[in-house]
Amino acid sequence: MFFKLVSRNSKRNRKENGLFFGALMVSVIVFYIVLSLSHQDVMVFLARMESDAVERLMGIIPVFYGLTLFLLFFLIYYASRFQLERRRHEFGVYLMFGMRRIKLFAMLLAEDLRNSLISLAIGLPVAVLLSELISLITARLVGIGMIGHRFSFSPQAALWTAIGFLSIKFIAFLILSGRISSQTIGALMAWPPAGVKRQMPPVVYAVSMVIGIAGLAAAYVLAVYGDAWYDIRQMGITLALGTAGTWLLFFGMRFVIGLAVRSGKHDRRLHVFHFRQIQETVIQRSGTLAVCSLLMLAALCCFGAGVAISRFYGESEPHVLDYTFDGSINGDTPGQIRQKLTAQQLDVEFLELFEMRVGHIRTAEDIDHAFAMEPLMEALRQRKPSRERDVLLNNLSYATYPYVISQSGYNRLLAAADLPALTLGEKEAAVYMDREFADAKRSEILNDILKTGPKASLDGTEITLTGSVQTTKLVTDRSITLSFALILADEVFDYYTQGDYDVYLNGILAKRESGNGGLMAAISEMNRKLDEAGVPYESYLQNMGRQLFYMVASSYITMYLAIIFLMIANTVIGVQFLMNQQQTGRRYLTLIRLGATHDVLCGSSRRQINWYFGLPIAAAVCSSIFGVYALLTGILSSRSRGSLPEMMIVSFVMILVLCVIEYFYIAAVKRASDRYLLTLMVPEREE
Amino acid sequence: MEPILEIESLKKYYGKSKNQTRALDGITFQVMPGEFLGIMGSSGSGKTTLLNCIATVVWPDAGSIAMNGRQIQKLEGAALAEYRGKEIGYLFQNFELLDNLTGYENIMLPLSLHGVPEQEGKRRLEQLAAYLEVKDVLHKFPAQMSGGQKQRIAAARSLILKPAVILADEPTGALDSKNARTLMEKLLGLNREEQATILMVTHDCNAASYCRRVLFIQDGVIFHELRRNIPDETGQEFYARILQVMAQLGGGSANVL
Repeated sequence: MFFKLVSRNSKRNRKENGLFFGALMVSVIVFYIVLSLSHQDVMVFLARMESDAVERLMGIIPVFYGLTLFLLFFLIYYASRFQLERRRHEFGVYLMFGMRRIKLFAMLLAEDLRNSLISLAIGLPVAVLLSELISLITARLVGIGMIGHRFSFSPQAALWTAIGFLSIKFIAFLILSGRISSQTIGALMAWPPAGVKRQMPPVVYAVSMVIGIAGLAAAYVLAVYGDAWYDIRQMGITLALGTAGTWLLFFGMRFVIGLAVRSGKHDRRLHVFHFRQIQETVIQRSGTLAVCSLLMLAALCCFGAGVAISRFYGESEPHVLDYTFDGSINGDTPGQIRQKLTAQQLDVEFLELFEMRVGHIRTAEDIDHAFAMEPLMEALRQRKPSRERDVLLNNLSYATYPYVISQSGYNRLLAAADLPALTLGEKEAAVYMDREFADAKRSEILNDILKTGPKASLDGTEITLTGSVQTTKLVTDRSITLSFALILADEVFDYYTQGDYDVYLNGILAKRESGNGGLMAAISEMNRKLDEAGVPYESYLQNMGRQLFYMVASSYITMYLAIIFLMIANTVIGVQFLMNQQQTGRRYLTLIRLGATHDVLCGSSRRQINWYFGLPIAAAVCSSIFGVYALLTGILSSRSRGSLPEMMIVSFVMILVLCVIEYFYIAAVKRASDRYLLTLMVPEREE
Repeated sequence: MEPILEIESLKKYYGKSKNQTRALDGITFQVMPGEFLGIMGSSGSGKTTLLNCIATVVWPDAGSIAMNGRQIQKLEGAALAEYRGKEIGYLFQNFELLDNLTGYENIMLPLSLHGVPEQEGKRRLEQLAAYLEVKDVLHKFPAQMSGGQKQRIAAARSLILKPAVILADEPTGALDSKNARTLMEKLLGLNREEQATILMVTHDCNAASYCRRVLFIQDGVIFHELRRNIPDETGQEFYARILQVMAQLGGGSANVL
């Protein structure tokens, strides 16, 4: 009998609170996916290239796991409390019939455990499948599909998922059942009074709303103008203003809803009723709504920023070089490296192998005045003031001892990149700046000035700066960047460097696109051969790996957090609405007696759901526009700031996508509400 | 005069053959326009089921109910909602006011439900509020009202659309004797002055003594009927006769008059 009761009750709980049960399963899935991250193809691949960074990321995973447990604990506690509160009367009846408290406790525990195990039994296989799917999709997206996918199940991740999930459920259960079982039978059996919460004068709410809006506006201003990132105090003030503003806004919202109740649209069907319902829930739960709205905001910001950042890292520069061999590592000359390659018959695998010579102005004694370009600086100063101009003026003022690059090597690079070669005279130099220091806007400014052929002084000799700003990477290693360098004709280069320069041997593979996996496979294969031959190298793959790592890490972490935040916020709002609807079920019964049809009731409840979800979503979306902008301006380096408007568009698209997700959530709650209202249409005998 | 409500051989059974409860077992009666009819009976006698059948909250298994000559079992969709809202007004034992709506909003609720412009009901509301003495509490929430005020607000709500019949289910059940008397006097006044047709189910002999006719139901059938001799019979005398029937009702069919 006991087990039958447990089985029936747990089944009823699942049916009546499907939304919460769904959230439990999603938490199992999310737990497993984050814990099994190290088994994902992309991570396995990256671990070979960037083991330090991957290890560091894996080191953060337990922190995320802990944070998720903490957040989900509140969700579970909250939803379980609703569920148990609803059954108070039933518990009172059990005790009344002589059930011992310990048995009641055991029964509730068994019910809870049963539902938890069912969530795990459904959630874990789905999680494993989903994790595999994500692994395959990400691998394909980043082009490492050929590395070979193997089905991976992480028993450790599954174990920790089960442990974490069951622990938070158990702790929440202990606290809640302790509260329930300490009450007297009389208290349990009495229906909780529906009583109207004590209300303050409307002016209090109006003022609270105005202060809330002002607080939010102040937080927006601080965030958008970048003051929030100035120091930790400023950031704290911005966050506090935003949080308090949101809370006060929701607290004061009853004022606006009160106005809506009194508005002139009384003739709309059940207008007053549904606004009074919304007002009641907003009054009783303004704090929870504010927290949910903030969680949604956090989710939107994470999502928007995550996508924008990963897109930024995913945007690669034009790919020209496959390999760079740096002789200085082993003390080998380029000739010796070539010999080693030839000995292993590896030289034939390269379409091209050429030297890139980079050195300093060795003829100069005063390195602080080896180079000057006053006419160019003056032309810059004459230009219309702009942020880009100021950055250039600042950066170029340090270019007094620039690197010099030999023309022949650079021209071969240009040829490989299908770009026109440079022709430089004896008294001419071309300007080289890395893309990080010369984005599209800055290059445009400099090119304008370079067209006029500004003069410059190189170790006392007057030269002309010519051509346009060169930005093609000199070597494969992305971490080597030059803020300013001069490309000189070879003889001039030899003269100024006095034969003291570094030589990098750059290589381009012959069979780039052959084989199954294309370039990636070709480079992987060559890496193996070079490792065997003992030739130190820097390959495109390593650099792409680094880029990929940032992309994957940022998108995984932000997506993960976004999903958690969104799930908690939506489940809390949804469960809260449905529970509240059931608590006020008598009102719907009265409406039915007064002649309301199922359609009329559903229409009213659907409108309530729209408002109930819409209020926190609208507040979150509005704040997220500023939030994402602030995050992007704060996080992104100067190089990527140029593409901020484009990234904002990406973020907007993501916000839209999230709104679509919300739409589906709302639809699910509406369906549940319609089903509940349908059960009310069947009359029950009341005496 | 044509009857406003005709109940013919009404049957409603609950449960399967072996454990079947015959809530209504072939009841037949008529209600005339402007009549104040009471229905009495012990717990489980079927009186609430009867009211629920008329209110279309439950569907009878057999028999017919005709309101103004129209079979209500045949009503569907909008016509059914129209019937529930406009042809009958329901007065509940527990008032069933929506606790998050003010008195005014509660009274106006049927208008809002049936898409009647608010302006049309305003004058009627003012009249009813004045007559039922609830003007002072119109803008209060139910939690701020006394039991009597709540029931009078509920009465105003059931009357706002001028229904053909008011169905009152133990309207004094949750009231003290003073408030019960006030309510019954108001209902009687409405019956006399507005010719409101009232069908009231009650346990309370005192409340039933306000009726012009009382039907006694036992085990799903009409067991007895009392008519008040107006104007000769006083309320108290009618009350005494009702009490007498109720006492006999307690003794079962052996005491049939």
